Amino acid sequence: MTRAEGKRLRAGVAFTSLWIVGLAVFTAYPVAASLFYSFCDYSILKAPVWCGLENYRQLAQDELFWKSLRNTLFYAGLSVPLGTAVALGLAVLLNCEVGGRSLFRLLFFMPSIVPVVASAMLWLWIFNGKYGLMNGFLDLFLSPFGLHGPAWLADPSWSKPALVIMSLWGTGNAVVIYLAGLQNVPAELYEAAEIDGASAWRRFIHVTLPAIAPVVAFNAIMALIGAMQLFAQAYIMSEAANGNGNASDGNPARSTLFYTIYLFSTAFQDLRMGYASAMAYVLFLITAALTWMAAQFSRGRYEDSP
Amino acid sequence: MTRVHKGSRRVAMGLLLLFSAAFVLPFVWLLSTSLKPIEQTLSLPLTFIPWAYTADLGGKRVEVTLDFQVTQPGAVVRFLAGEDAGKLGFLGARQLASGSVPATVVHPVAAGSWHVTQRLDRALGEEGPAPLWDVLPRDRIDSRIRPRWDNYPRALAALGGDSASDRDRVGFWTFLGNSLAVAILGVLGTVISNAIVAYGFARLKWRGRDAFFALTLATMMVPFPALMVPLYGVFKALGLIGTLLPLWLPTWFGSAFNIFLMRQFFRTIPEELSEAARIDGCSEWRIFWRIVIPLSTPVLVVAALFHFIFAWNDFLGPLLYLTRKDTYTLALALAGYQSQNGGVQWHYLMAASAVTILPVIILFLFAQKTFIRGIATTGTKG
Amino acid sequence: MSPRHKACLPLLLAAALPAGAAQAVHVTYWEKWVGFEAQADQAVIDRFNRSQDRIVVDYSSVSHTDRKTLVATAGGDPPDIAGLNEQNIATFADAEALLPLDDFIRRDGMTNTEWLSRYYPVYARICSHAGHVYAGISTPKVMALYWNKTLFREAGLDPDRPPRTLAEFDDYSRRLTKRDPATGRLTQVGFLPQDPGWWPWIFCSWFGGKLFDEQRVTFASDPRNVAAYDWIQSFTRDYGLDNVKVLSSEFGPWASPSAPFFTGRIAMVFQGVFYDNYIHQYKPGLDYGVGPWPEAVPGVTDFAMAEADVLVIPRGARHVREAWEFIKYVNSANPDARTRDELRGAELLDYLQVKNSPLRVWSPFFAEHNLHPHIAMMRRLSASPNVVSAPDLGIWQEYYREVISSFDRVRLLDATPREAMAFSQSRLEKSWERYRRSLERHGQWAALGETAP
Repeated sequence: MTRAEGKRLRAGVAFTSLWIVGLAVFTAYPVAASLFYSFCDYSILKAPVWCGLENYRQLAQDELFWKSLRNTLFYAGLSVPLGTAVALGLAVLLNCEVGGRSLFRLLFFMPSIVPVVASAMLWLWIFNGKYGLMNGFLDLFLSPFGLHGPAWLADPSWSKPALVIMSLWGTGNAVVIYLAGLQNVPAELYEAAEIDGASAWRRFIHVTLPAIAPVVAFNAIMALIGAMQLFAQAYIMSEAANGNGNASDGNPARSTLFYTIYLFSTAFQDLRMGYASAMAYVLFLITAALTWMAAQFSRGRYEDSP
Repeated sequence: MTRVHKGSRRVAMGLLLLFSAAFVLPFVWLLSTSLKPIEQTLSLPLTFIPWAYTADLGGKRVEVTLDFQVTQPGAVVRFLAGEDAGKLGFLGARQLASGSVPATVVHPVAAGSWHVTQRLDRALGEEGPAPLWDVLPRDRIDSRIRPRWDNYPRALAALGGDSASDRDRVGFWTFLGNSLAVAILGVLGTVISNAIVAYGFARLKWRGRDAFFALTLATMMVPFPALMVPLYGVFKALGLIGTLLPLWLPTWFGSAFNIFLMRQFFRTIPEELSEAARIDGCSEWRIFWRIVIPLSTPVLVVAALFHFIFAWNDFLGPLLYLTRKDTYTLALALAGYQSQNGGVQWHYLMAASAVTILPVIILFLFAQKTFIRGIATTGTKG
Repeated sequence: MSPRHKACLPLLLAAALPAGAAQAVHVTYWEKWVGFEAQADQAVIDRFNRSQDRIVVDYSSVSHTDRKTLVATAGGDPPDIAGLNEQNIATFADAEALLPLDDFIRRDGMTNTEWLSRYYPVYARICSHAGHVYAGISTPKVMALYWNKTLFREAGLDPDRPPRTLAEFDDYSRRLTKRDPATGRLTQVGFLPQDPGWWPWIFCSWFGGKLFDEQRVTFASDPRNVAAYDWIQSFTRDYGLDNVKVLSSEFGPWASPSAPFFTGRIAMVFQGVFYDNYIHQYKPGLDYGVGPWPEAVPGVTDFAMAEADVLVIPRGARHVREAWEFIKYVNSANPDARTRDELRGAELLDYLQVKNSPLRVWSPFFAEHNLHPHIAMMRRLSASPNVVSAPDLGIWQEYYREVISSFDRVRLLDATPREAMAFSQSRLEKSWERYRRSLERHGQWAALGETAP
């Protein structure tokens, strides 16, 4: 190494030194420790005892683990496509030359920055089976037939759809992104299509969609990663749905036992930190796979010349 | 922008109005509930308007609550015998005619009248004379719109729980202070540390830089829940469990996403500016501080705003690390408010939620453009 | 309070108090209560703080006290005293999160047996685990049958004679159930197992079943437990699932004026000693009676359930001796108290919280001037040989969750009792096996095994 190289290296390390410490203490060590604990019987109060693959073996046989995974996939499988569709639809509508566009954009975006605890409280109230806004609205259509809206969060078959509906309210983030993506589609493409006499729908399918597909795919996968980590709203709402103040079981009837809730209660309620670490690692692998997919979609978009 | 026909534009406008109504209605519901008296939050049919009802009871004009509508005609009576002798009560027409309950009629009541009770703003458990009541036709009850703004101070006062000891009585202002401390210290940490680190990645050439940067990007895929357990151990070893530090200290040591965001921006600043400064004998630190930072305000503001919102809204972090009430953030206190009050007082809960939402909405309205540009760039280019 | 203010507090106190008190040890105490129970706690603490000049107990109301205590103990910064639920004791003790109180008791010149014999047996059982005393009682609770006398009268039943046997209970429940003749919808039910639905396992014990048999989980294998869940499901079958859903959609929270027992939607409930306070608060004037659970197993009279909130010292607490002094105070009383001012410790707390005392000996004032309208019944049930409490089991939290989950599935007709319970049983067997192995690994099993129930 020449002196100049050495000097540059020192400067580089000096500038990134905070991150070197941060990476080591707040990421690298936890990732390694988590892996170690996942092979241990560990409760934080007692010293970890090595138990090999036992945690992973138990995980494979743990009905609740699978249930939490199924619940999470159900939620993600519903909220991500619906959220993407709604956001894309709204973005397309906004992209028509309509008046008041920035006001609409503002209105759609606002819910997405509402603190999740506050929006959980609000939706808890909206989904109240008797006095809630949702059933008040639905009953306008249902009561002529002698029907009544469901009990939502108190009903195991409606609690997850309720959370999905709530997630749609927070989809404004994606609206903004997709709108920006739509605005980046070169106008010449549309003009060419128009000259060819393509209908608006065909233009959307053949011009718009291919042009913004990478953005949509990337953001949908990011949303999927987020949905896999669903915690706060489900935790708060299930605590309230039960009434006896214990959220660790995903009430009612474990219908909202999501992956991160099970992980949290295993670790910090049952103090089974080793088992929780094994769960954490499985989540880590799932997320890594999804991220890799996202990277495939966005490959080349942020690779710039050195 | 897509050019569309006038007709389709009208359809689009209609759809947008419909959807924006769906997005705005929850906010309206939140506000309307927060301004109602408790019994109106639990009454049907639903209304968005907070009412005040008044009626003449016992010769006095008093505020009343509408309890229920009587379905059959009958009378308000005074009982003559039995345990209830001397008390007032309501008897249906058939019971009255059968004479099975000895009573004298005070006044007759038509079907569809309302049972009303005097509204006493007494704290639970507080003793006092029993409230007056009567059964009156709807046209003898006045209604006018009256938002209860005093729900707000009451909800905030109840946020910390009505603990018996003064020392323990922490409340809204403590929570607000904690939330602000965590958010502001976190914003400072985010902006300062990530700018320094990103400069090292963006504007300096050194051996191992690209490999290290790839590693940095790779850490973005580690989900926080996967790190909860060992991170808890780290902060235990540092003796910080139960303090606010675990919530903001890590921001002073960089984060992959922000490093990436800022690096991308720094690279758009012409290299010639740095070169010229280097020839003039400027140190890297000086170039960073005097040239790059002043040109980078947009990205710094975006990172600051994002972090503020994240810190303000965070629930899992405070849930994990905070044990004492005097360290609670507003979000955590709000979540606790719901679980510590057996019967949910929706009007107070909505008022407290509104107060928690307000700062981020204000921040957003002030920095709307930056926000939207920030979201759009990170979502489409990052 | 900001850290800076906290730092100021001792200084202010030092300036304000006489010199001796400046050296007083401050004991931190986390408790779940807010409202009037917290005021009662504070009154007891004030009395304790004034009774001597070495110790000052500082009360903090903390929601989810159990999880917060565990997290703080694991994090190395626990309170000196934590107010937990009794169900936490075994789990926390096995996790080595609690300090046994045996040494303190011995230092005070008593054996564990002597110390525990001052309580009614059920509360003595609650305080101990694996041969050690881990807790003192803060708030004892007895659950009894509450019935609405007005509805009894309407149904032509004797309002002063509650059902005495299970068959009678079922019969009463049918006679107290009303439907809207036009729609067939329920307007009132005699009994609904899910209200309040907090302790579904008690129905198993009531039917004579066992939840744990020396070394094994017996949730599904004990036919009496299955019979209890069959009985629970029979209510949904009789009423109709939709009818129950519609009816219960009108129920307000249990502690509100619109709670179904207060609005006359449900005629009989099993509730705790604390329920009278809520009746007084939300439905003053309700005409109701309180009695033992009907005989479900012939010969088992005065059946009831007891549980308690307890005081423990987490491991790693800084002022353990002072913490013990306070726990001892709250678990003793002045047996000669003849006026309110002479009440001490447990009796003062229970008098102010309007509950029963866990101690066998009651002072004349506490017994005679108690504000609880049914205190005699509560005392009779506390002393009953047939009062039961939750099993002393390290996996009880998981067990409880399974019990609830099965209960929900059964009452919502999602599964037959046998199916739901077998599912829970297989999970619990695995959990117990894992738990036992973990204790073995840490060398704790032998100690636990010796004293296993």
